[in-house]
Amino acid sequence: MEQHRVEKQASWLKWKWWLILFLIAFFIAPFILTEFYLTILCEALVMSLLALSFNLLFGYMGQLSFGQAAFYGLGGYTVALLVTKLHFNFWLSMIAGVLVAGLIGLIIGYFCVRLRGIYFSILTLAFGQLLFFIIYKWHNFTGGDDGIQGVFPPEYLKSPTAYYYFILIVFLLSAFVLWRLVHSPFGQIMKGMRENSVRTEFLGIHIARYQLITFVIAAALAGLAGAIWVPFYRSVAPFYLMWIKSGEPVMAAILGGPSTFYGPILGMFIMTFFHAWVLAFTHFWPVIMGTLILIVIFLLPGGILGFAQEKLRGRRSKGT
Amino acid sequence: MAFLQTQAVVKDFGKLRAVNSVTLDIRKGDVHAIIGPNGAGKSTYFNLITGYHRIDSGKVLFQDEEITKLPSYRRCKLGITRSFQITSIYPKLTVYEGVLMAILAHRKASLHFFSSAKKYFKEDVWRLLEDVGLEDQANAQGDSISHGDKKRLELAITLGTEPELLLLDEPTCGMSPEETETTITLINKLSQVRGLTILFTEHDMGVVFGIAKRISVLHQGTLIADGDPEAVRASEEVQKVYLGGAA
Amino acid sequence: MSFDVIFNQFMSGIARGALLFLVASGLSLTFGVLRVLNFAHGSLYMLGAFISYSLWKYLLIPVVGFYVAAVLAALIMGGVGILIEFFLLRRLYSRGWPEQLLATYAIVLIITDIVKWCWGGEFLSIPRPKPFAGAVFLFGFPFPSYNFFIIILGLALVIFLWWLVYKTRLGDIIRAAAHDREMVSALGIPIPWLFTWIFMLGSMIAGLSGAASAPYGAIALGMDIDIIVECFAVVVIGGMGSLPGTLLGSFIVGQVYSFGIMYKPELALAFIFIVMAVVLIIRPWGIFGKPER
Repeated sequence: MEQHRVEKQASWLKWKWWLILFLIAFFIAPFILTEFYLTILCEALVMSLLALSFNLLFGYMGQLSFGQAAFYGLGGYTVALLVTKLHFNFWLSMIAGVLVAGLIGLIIGYFCVRLRGIYFSILTLAFGQLLFFIIYKWHNFTGGDDGIQGVFPPEYLKSPTAYYYFILIVFLLSAFVLWRLVHSPFGQIMKGMRENSVRTEFLGIHIARYQLITFVIAAALAGLAGAIWVPFYRSVAPFYLMWIKSGEPVMAAILGGPSTFYGPILGMFIMTFFHAWVLAFTHFWPVIMGTLILIVIFLLPGGILGFAQEKLRGRRSKGT
Repeated sequence: MAFLQTQAVVKDFGKLRAVNSVTLDIRKGDVHAIIGPNGAGKSTYFNLITGYHRIDSGKVLFQDEEITKLPSYRRCKLGITRSFQITSIYPKLTVYEGVLMAILAHRKASLHFFSSAKKYFKEDVWRLLEDVGLEDQANAQGDSISHGDKKRLELAITLGTEPELLLLDEPTCGMSPEETETTITLINKLSQVRGLTILFTEHDMGVVFGIAKRISVLHQGTLIADGDPEAVRASEEVQKVYLGGAA
Repeated sequence: MSFDVIFNQFMSGIARGALLFLVASGLSLTFGVLRVLNFAHGSLYMLGAFISYSLWKYLLIPVVGFYVAAVLAALIMGGVGILIEFFLLRRLYSRGWPEQLLATYAIVLIITDIVKWCWGGEFLSIPRPKPFAGAVFLFGFPFPSYNFFIIILGLALVIFLWWLVYKTRLGDIIRAAAHDREMVSALGIPIPWLFTWIFMLGSMIAGLSGAASAPYGAIALGMDIDIIVECFAVVVIGGMGSLPGTLLGSFIVGQVYSFGIMYKPELALAFIFIVMAVVLIIRPWGIFGKPER
């Protein structure tokens, strides 16, 4: 047992160095990258939050949500409406965006958690579409098809570099909080629901209630992503809530590896830069996403990091 | 006062009546066996007590409180825990993590969001693992241990919820004679040392008559005998049901 | 609100319900036997609609052009279904429901772009074919005759499915396989062949419904998701994996939509969701469904 503990320490140390390296790289990025690439990096960080929110439900709780983009869009629209129509304080709007997404997540989640498996998944898609539909049709309030333009951050965050650091800090804080969450007792219960929900139920856990809590956290996180993105991009549009947009965190998570914490982040970074490259010569992004999903399902189950984990495990057992 | 009481409980699956108006008292502190041929409705009866199935008619009372409509997680909180015939553990988690799961759930730590789960209840987990004899396998993955060990793991997990009434569905199913001996000793210890009330089903008559203080016999969903082991063993009805044909 | 208006809306609701039943029944069928919820069912519906449009437009067969196009579209979608089942789904039966759902989700993404590439983003439609081109007058209100065609088609499908499932040997196998797959396989019935066949049938129904919807409303991108969401509402309300449930659910959703449109057009979809939400609270397994435990 002693040896096992030591082994765990060694691998943890190795990870720490990688993390520090990445952190340094992220902090000096604005000085190395052109504005174009910095923008893509911003998008990658924001969308990674969305991917993490999806994977909270999928990798950690075992449920597929096809509606995370709806909460992303809600966060964005809340900020856009408060800033442009009511000239609200930027920071308060951010908080409002998260709260609105979380609240709607509570209402929708209440219904979704009454079902499991594929029914849960399609219900999330259905509610996501309902939200998209409401935003799209409510022309007077949300601008409908046109969306909302002219969403500006405060003066000191107007430059891309400044806003980049803002996004980076929000990302790092959120990822940290999420990391603590999935390693907490609550996170263990989440794992228990995923691994054997009947057993967990018979330990006294009200499954629907715990799933609802996780759902709300995921919705709020997705809302945060939308809330910080919209002032950067200066506008928001209904397609942010569409089912196709919901596919991006799904794609990212299964590409990177849903069984790991960092997998969705890796997957989203790859996807965001790949998307930017693809956009140069075609608008047909859904077909590429769909094909990639199929490729991952058939050729790389477990995603990139999942695959790497298996290889490491195999090598370790061969060594002994 | 009966500890657990079922009053005329009925469960139908379509046209099949799996449990036919069973009225039974289980006394506190007893080791009580439910036996009967295959298809007698033993597991279904367990499912009704623990809330896995909805009851079609009748009542279930625990410590004089009616629990008929309560969902299973609430019954567990009241102190009723069970093991399953097909061992229900956490295959991809380690033995340690499985037991920890139960304790976290029971001790209301489940809504702690920020501290590291690994730091919780270490002594309690180790004590439970030692009680069932699995301390050497603490880091083994759930699906990698032997069948007998899996059953012991499930027992440790159920004990993590500190139950007052423990339902064991065929606890020695698939075990070797040595493992069966160990399990019998364990069940006796749980009853005598911890004062648990234990309700179990079994096919192994040696186990049943070895440790049960009371035995109830089900046949095609109906209760046909109930009493101390000698009375049940001598009952003509029971002999007819098990041996078939004329008494 | 006078009786004639109500009756008219009621009949519109029946027509819409019939169309929903056409689509949802294919979904129910595949789910009941294969235990796979084909997310891409709506995409097959949409593809069937677009293909029938092109066939109608380019084959230029007089009088029965639409009907020929519809049947051909159904057959083509049956073929597509065979391809999807054989090359993709078959390898995923041993994997869990997440992979199956993700795969069908991927197919939705792919088909949606294929349709966009082939037909662009416009709205298309086929004029209503004879003899259903005009309107009948119900209590003084014009009611499109084509709606009767949809209703007849729906009824025909109900009868066909009822006959298939309850009166044929294949139907016995279907019902047995829905209950116990291993048993059926042990009886020597080739399960893979059965699955392909059922999936093909479901896809054909999807294609036919798509074609039927072309003169009913507009064909456009997004109809794949719209119909799958409504189908899902049907199944939630009526009950999972139950054909009578699908019938009842289609009826209810059709009526809610029809009267919802009359009251406030933008909110018609929301009304359907409200009904679905109510069912989920009171009876999560649907009206004709059975509780899981």
